[in-house]
Amino acid sequence: MSYREKENLVNIFSGLLITGIYAWIIYQKQLAGQFDLTVNYNKWGEILLVFMGVSIVARIIIYIVFHIINAIATQAEDIPKEDERDKLVKLKSTRNSHYVFSGGFVLGILALAIGMPIYWIFVAFVVSALLSEIVDNASQIYYYRRGI
Amino acid sequence: MGKKVIHNNIRQLRFSKDEMTQQQLADEVGVSRQTIVAIEKEKYSPSLELAFRIARVFDRSLEGVFFYQQGEGNNNE
Repeated sequence: MSYREKENLVNIFSGLLITGIYAWIIYQKQLAGQFDLTVNYNKWGEILLVFMGVSIVARIIIYIVFHIINAIATQAEDIPKEDERDKLVKLKSTRNSHYVFSGGFVLGILALAIGMPIYWIFVAFVVSALLSEIVDNASQIYYYRRGI
Repeated sequence: MGKKVIHNNIRQLRFSKDEMTQQQLADEVGVSRQTIVAIEKEKYSPSLELAFRIARVFDRSLEGVFFYQQGEGNNNE
């Protein structure tokens, strides 16, 4: 398995892990009555902003750990430089990712249109963001393995 | 319409050039070894610029390294 494929696998698992843990903590706070996300929409903004910060810091730590482990396991010191194939793979994967995110957002709007509670748009936002990231990384693995 | 594929003979050319490794070729043309592997396995068609750089390493014309062939059943098109 190449460095890029491993990097994308790590991204998928770290995305799932970070989002899962953060969502679980928020859900526990909701159950404990610290806030009510079904009516307090401003809280969603606060939670999502904090999540962005937490996610960036956690990913940096995970990436450093991954790089160290990979360097020890493969005896390779350098990260492969990005060339035209890597850029094309990223471009196509980002396109797929945007389709998923846009689709999720439209589904959220549709949910509002058919009378679902307003907080569903935020749920759709979070879920489509997570799914689009998974699709981005999975697409990269797919293109690296199957060719473009 | 058949599948259009760009084939190449980079592997043979490497061996005839003092058994040049994929890494050496990659370094000379400025891409990763994985990209050379993908080109040799015909999983990736390089850009025109990269194709010219590869051809120049082997002192060949572009057609001396890469050749275009449509899928079976459409060879007379």
